[in-house]
Amino acid sequence: MNDNELITAVRESVADVRAATPVAKIISRGRAVRARRRIPAVAGALAAGACTGLAVTTLVSAGHPGVASVNHPSSHPASVRLTAWTVARQANGNIDVTIRQLKNPAGLQATLRADGLPVTVSFSGRLNPGPACRPYSTALGMLNSVSQIHGDRLVIDPSALPSGAGLAIFDEPGKGLPVPSGTTPTLGAKPATPPSIPRLLRVLNGPLAIGMVYASQQCTG
Amino acid sequence: MRWSGVGTQPLDFAEFYRDAADECLRAVLVSIGDQDTARELVDEAFARAWASWPAVSRHPAPKAWVVRTAVNAGISRWRRRRREVPVPDLATVTDPRATGEASAGLVDPRIMAALMRLPVRQRQVVALRLILDLDTARTADVLGIAPGTVMAHLGRAMAALRHELQPELEQESRS
Repeated sequence: MNDNELITAVRESVADVRAATPVAKIISRGRAVRARRRIPAVAGALAAGACTGLAVTTLVSAGHPGVASVNHPSSHPASVRLTAWTVARQANGNIDVTIRQLKNPAGLQATLRADGLPVTVSFSGRLNPGPACRPYSTALGMLNSVSQIHGDRLVIDPSALPSGAGLAIFDEPGKGLPVPSGTTPTLGAKPATPPSIPRLLRVLNGPLAIGMVYASQQCTG
Repeated sequence: MRWSGVGTQPLDFAEFYRDAADECLRAVLVSIGDQDTARELVDEAFARAWASWPAVSRHPAPKAWVVRTAVNAGISRWRRRRREVPVPDLATVTDPRATGEASAGLVDPRIMAALMRLPVRQRQVVALRLILDLDTARTADVLGIAPGTVMAHLGRAMAALRHELQPELEQESRS
């Protein structure tokens, strides 16, 4: 086999692989990239003007006057800032979630659900056990298309969620979702036994994880 | 391919994407080996290219910029997620060598497996030189290594691939 034959073989081995993402979606994502780049400057300005006595659970709007309440998620503005977490709806429909502290999961869950996202949030180490929150069988690529992780920020594309699927955001991977016996995912190491459930656990930032679950009234609202 | 540069009209992003997306995806796939991840990284790299289009459109090799950005993003992602808990779905995991099927039906599993056995730097050189068709000088510039090193990596990669693939390819040609 000469060099040309080998080069041809290598090229032909991937010749059928074609990009499938529409350019409009790339541009939409590019806008989100631009928005992300602006965030540090905006955050810096907000921090400079912020009162040091701001309570952990106090909500203030980001760039908008007024105060939104966790108890009234449907009334939250396009961008709601909480010291523990931030939820911002982007113009392209994506939802940006920044989690700084594992506090007030019910508020975060209500805020995300108010944005139309079927989701369950738990910072207690366990979701409701039983069939209410069943892991959704999916490839990691699908989860990647639904959620992008950028440091402590999670960008969710609700339109990429398959029909009947929802998201679970929880802490302590391996404890947050019911796991069949014989499978105990452990931080920092591969499971000692062969895994027997679909891949769904990913560490977000430290102990935080996100997975896909079957949407249901009991699980994802 | 139309590159923009001094004295030329800025390259249109949509045109660039249509022209370069397939090649960039193949190059990233050869670099990292996983199609889903490669698609995700290439999408992200093109999104970043759009966000910085005035600068990227004047880059001497925008395709190489995209591939390099995608590969770097993959490395950064891996670093962030080192503690990720992989829980593969056994029902969907198959050994391509056992089944003889191409991964996702699009790539040649024998050649891809041979590529994945190459050292990372050799794969990157193969991706840029053979898939993206960059010359040695540009490849060296993109990877930040000397042109001689590029040639050495490519020579070793070709030798290794030939050693791995020759019996199978010759058997195919006889049959």
